[in-house]
Amino acid sequence: MLTFDHVHFYYKKGQPVVEDISFTITAGEYVAIVGANGGGKSTIAKLMDGLLLPKEGSVKFNGLDTGIPADLAKIHKQLGFVFQNPEDQFITTTVMDEVLFGLENISVPREEISIRLHQALQAVQMEDYLEAMPHQLSGGQKQRVAIAAILAMHPQFIIFDESTSMLDPQSRKQVLSIMRELNQQGMTIVHITHHMDEVLLADRVMLLHQGRLIFDGEPYTFFETVPVGDYQLELPFAVRLYHQLHLTTPLTANWKEMITSQWSTNYKI
Amino acid sequence: MVYELQNLSVNYDDHAALRNISCTIQEGKWISVIGQTGAGKSTFVKVLKGLIPSFDGNYMIDDQPVIRDTKGRLKVIPEIGFVFQYPEHQLFETSVYKELAFGAKLQGYSNQQITEAIDSILPQVGLSEEILSYAPFQLSGGQKRRVAVASVMMMNPKLLILDEPTAGLDPLSRAALLQYLQQWQKQDKSRTIIFISHQLDDVAEYSDEVMVFHKGQLKGHFNACKLFLEKNELLEELELSLPEPVQLLKLVEQLCGRKVEVDSCKEREIFDKIMPIWHARGF
Repeated sequence: MLTFDHVHFYYKKGQPVVEDISFTITAGEYVAIVGANGGGKSTIAKLMDGLLLPKEGSVKFNGLDTGIPADLAKIHKQLGFVFQNPEDQFITTTVMDEVLFGLENISVPREEISIRLHQALQAVQMEDYLEAMPHQLSGGQKQRVAIAAILAMHPQFIIFDESTSMLDPQSRKQVLSIMRELNQQGMTIVHITHHMDEVLLADRVMLLHQGRLIFDGEPYTFFETVPVGDYQLELPFAVRLYHQLHLTTPLTANWKEMITSQWSTNYKI
Repeated sequence: MVYELQNLSVNYDDHAALRNISCTIQEGKWISVIGQTGAGKSTFVKVLKGLIPSFDGNYMIDDQPVIRDTKGRLKVIPEIGFVFQYPEHQLFETSVYKELAFGAKLQGYSNQQITEAIDSILPQVGLSEEILSYAPFQLSGGQKRRVAVASVMMMNPKLLILDEPTAGLDPLSRAALLQYLQQWQKQDKSRTIIFISHQLDDVAEYSDEVMVFHKGQLKGHFNACKLFLEKNELLEELELSLPEPVQLLKLVEQLCGRKVEVDSCKEREIFDKIMPIWHARGF
């Protein structure tokens, strides 16, 4: 469980970046975070992970406080972070070393290392690339290796900070399906994104605007009730279509199913 | 201006980045370049701009071979504007005014010419005069991106190349940038945009033509709508999914068992064409 309790953050006093934010994310949730550029999304992600510390309030993960150094080390064993640009996080020279690096850092026993290495690469379908070097991989493959490096550490909670935004559509789909699968296995997922269709895949969405939490709830309610244009966002295609056709079936991310089901039930005889 | 490549190949150390590309880029078009990561899209546009000094094949502008130096190396072509990925990372001046003036000064513009150019460009990218005195870091992500694009437009390029210009922008900043680019391009019949993007919905919405790259080869250069309506096998082969409005069109065609004629693959057009069919079904 991750709890923000009246968290404030600023780089310069008087210019708040995050203002009085409180929420709790329970284990196993899939949360999307959205908002305009500069709204505080990445700051929130960094506060979750202890890369930044609150100026006021507290961030706690399973009772551990990011503000206490001994706690933070324990938090890092349970919480992983995948950045936007895979180039920014590939630090070793081969796929294998990249995954091993994190494991060695958290002192995983030698006999367990090889098991974790293979499991993690298998989960992202990169087990055939053990010896591959970064320049031999595409952006999507590098991003999958970054995910594997995190998975090998057996975290309970992974933050994806716009991790799909630089990928081609096929790689994006693969990463999204990995996220979905991890969540189904019980992992907590936080996904920061500008793709509104990805929001529909989450159980819960938080809207951040000018450092404040404007909405925290279910994605369909979000798109039905919040004037998203006021926050530099747009409705996903499924919702635009839903409104355009005045559909009466329940709104789902799978608009093809929506259309097909309505088509078969509304035949004028 | 007409840009023409004949049998172009580019080899990096251990692999061919581009293989035997021939194409003609006519003026007055929005041409999108699509393909998976590593397909050769970025190398292709770098050749156009003259950023790759040596390659096999010919490059002609208005039927004239491009100018090479004494060693036969290609020079950077100043008349082509080039906006790199995340161009705001390259903003470095202390004010937006200085940022916009920087390139123009290098090109020998007088102060008055610079001021006139800035006055004309600012509204074209939706920025107000008051931000001229701001430091670039005080701007929002979308504004920074537009300043970076404006600094390239300042040189009045006839061909403007943009490599993933909307990556990382929030949805409305993305839409705004694309609309400003479209207005800029349509203002003058001789202006051409080359747009690299992974967002096929945007490609369908804005392009006149689309060039499809795969593993260093140009798989085709199509009218945009023709590509999405008729070349589905090619897109499938390259694992590129159709834009959502086109997927909708195909689904409705399948449901009603007949072809639905459209004039473009824009979302508005497709919605307008399927609405009557939907109404006829009982709404």
